[in-house]
Amino acid sequence: MNTNPSMERKSWKASRRLFYVVPLAAMFIPLVANDYLQFMVNIMMVYVLVTVGFNLVIGNLGQLAFANTAFFGIGAYTTAILMSHLGFTYDIALVSAAVVGGLAGLLASITALRGIRLYYLAIITMAFGELMRWVYIHADKITHGTDGLPLYNISVFGMSMHSDTAKFYVFLLITVLVVKGVSNLLRSRVGRAIIAIRDNEMTTASLGISTSNYIILTFVMSGSIVGIAGAMFAATTERVFPESFGLTEVIVHFAMVMVGGSGSLIGSVIGGAVLTILPEYFRQFPGMSELFFGGIIITILLFLPKGLASLLAKLSPVFHDRYYRD
Amino acid sequence: MTDLLRLNNISVHFSGLKALTDVSFSASPGQVKALIGPNGAGKTTLFNVISGYVPPTSGEVYFNGEEIQGLTPHEISARGVRRTFQNGGLFGEMTVLENILTGMHVQINSHFMGLLFGTRKADEEEKAAAARAMRLLALMDMSEFADQQVKSLSGGQQRMVEIIRTISTEPPLLLLDEPAVGLSPPMRIRMMEVIKRLAGEEGISILLIEHAIDLVMAGSDRIVVLCAGQNIAEGKPAEIRENREVLEAYLGYA
Repeated sequence: MNTNPSMERKSWKASRRLFYVVPLAAMFIPLVANDYLQFMVNIMMVYVLVTVGFNLVIGNLGQLAFANTAFFGIGAYTTAILMSHLGFTYDIALVSAAVVGGLAGLLASITALRGIRLYYLAIITMAFGELMRWVYIHADKITHGTDGLPLYNISVFGMSMHSDTAKFYVFLLITVLVVKGVSNLLRSRVGRAIIAIRDNEMTTASLGISTSNYIILTFVMSGSIVGIAGAMFAATTERVFPESFGLTEVIVHFAMVMVGGSGSLIGSVIGGAVLTILPEYFRQFPGMSELFFGGIIITILLFLPKGLASLLAKLSPVFHDRYYRD
Repeated sequence: MTDLLRLNNISVHFSGLKALTDVSFSASPGQVKALIGPNGAGKTTLFNVISGYVPPTSGEVYFNGEEIQGLTPHEISARGVRRTFQNGGLFGEMTVLENILTGMHVQINSHFMGLLFGTRKADEEEKAAAARAMRLLALMDMSEFADQQVKSLSGGQQRMVEIIRTISTEPPLLLLDEPAVGLSPPMRIRMMEVIKRLAGEEGISILLIEHAIDLVMAGSDRIVVLCAGQNIAEGKPAEIRENREVLEAYLGYA
């Protein structure tokens, strides 16, 4: 037992500033990366946000809601429809994707608020995702069905975003802002209220916290963040297909949350990044890639049930998730 | 002395089962009032009615002159009625400090947007709350546990954390549901001292459910006896000790 907890805290506080090194160092990636690697790094940031958003509902709020592919697809299609059909620029489409994703989150929160929980919530929210995929396929006058809906002339504030390098800098900015924003919220009464609901919903209300408000808020934040990720995904692939948002996709999202660390923000960043890169890496072993991928997920979860984030937390208390400011 | 809390003819029926029938009593500031009675007498149901978890079938609950039955638990709590739970209501994955801070939720005036963008005002509000929580922990000799997960603490320490969390907003009324159960003898005495101090020095009105009759006799100012959902007696500890009806109902003397 450390005899002076406050001294220990001060040193963590200083060490945590080192987190800013990661995005700063990342700014140099375009100087060293080839086209393929640059594309992969961009996709990686998409999945970091997918995981950050999903983890809020799964890990922090503790609700088994699997509407994440619905949010992801709604974000991507909102972007593509606004740009292809209505001629909006990417910046406006991206903000709209965040808003529409948030509305989808609001819709999904109704289930949990009505007392539908656990497996029932899981199956209903998965059905929501599948239903949306049916809409993408059959509303083909708008979505072009399985042919996919293309995006042209991607630009922000009048600057072309066509190259992967340009996309990278825009994505990096968005990712840093979202992760920092989520971190700010988690380290406050908002983050504590959300986790309190997960740990003991009944007691949470006894502390004057409106549990339904925070359940709605978490779903809206999740939908909004994953909607942004969908907009980034649309810009990366430049054509949006319904099959990108199927049931296997939500399983991948779930694996990212669990491998990174359920309820951990650092875990979301790591889980999203690692599980984007690994399958790509294993592509060089045709026929074996799924075996390696599945094997690695099983191994990590067997030995690190709280994900890769718990490994970091063992190394240093700096990596502990905190829910207060000091 | 004015009544902080007043119950008027509270009845609770669960599909035919009469959990409470016409229970009336009141609670005043600075007073420890114990609720005793055999298992199934309706003590916890009464707490659930006051804190909004169970709506009464009939009767009224007044707090500070305002009718509060029908309000949600978080609305009642925000008005200053705070409670603990019999089987522990802590957030196990959180640290002690985070538990206390969650208890202070309604006192922290930071807005969503301010928190999101990390404005200086929101930051300072959160930091001030953390400092207050640390002072509260120091006051109760619990500072050294601040950064420990509550699930790693002993039962007695956990009860203490729950009480600190409950009083963190300086509520005028405190409902304690068996705070001393499962505690070691020295911890029980310490718990009772804390409860008496909260009533005596802070002027908090405390309703206490407790089975340990020695603690009740020593620590409470007045006692309400519930039996089979009815209020069968109320009085000072010495009066209750002599009450024949209570002895028959509660202690099983013929």
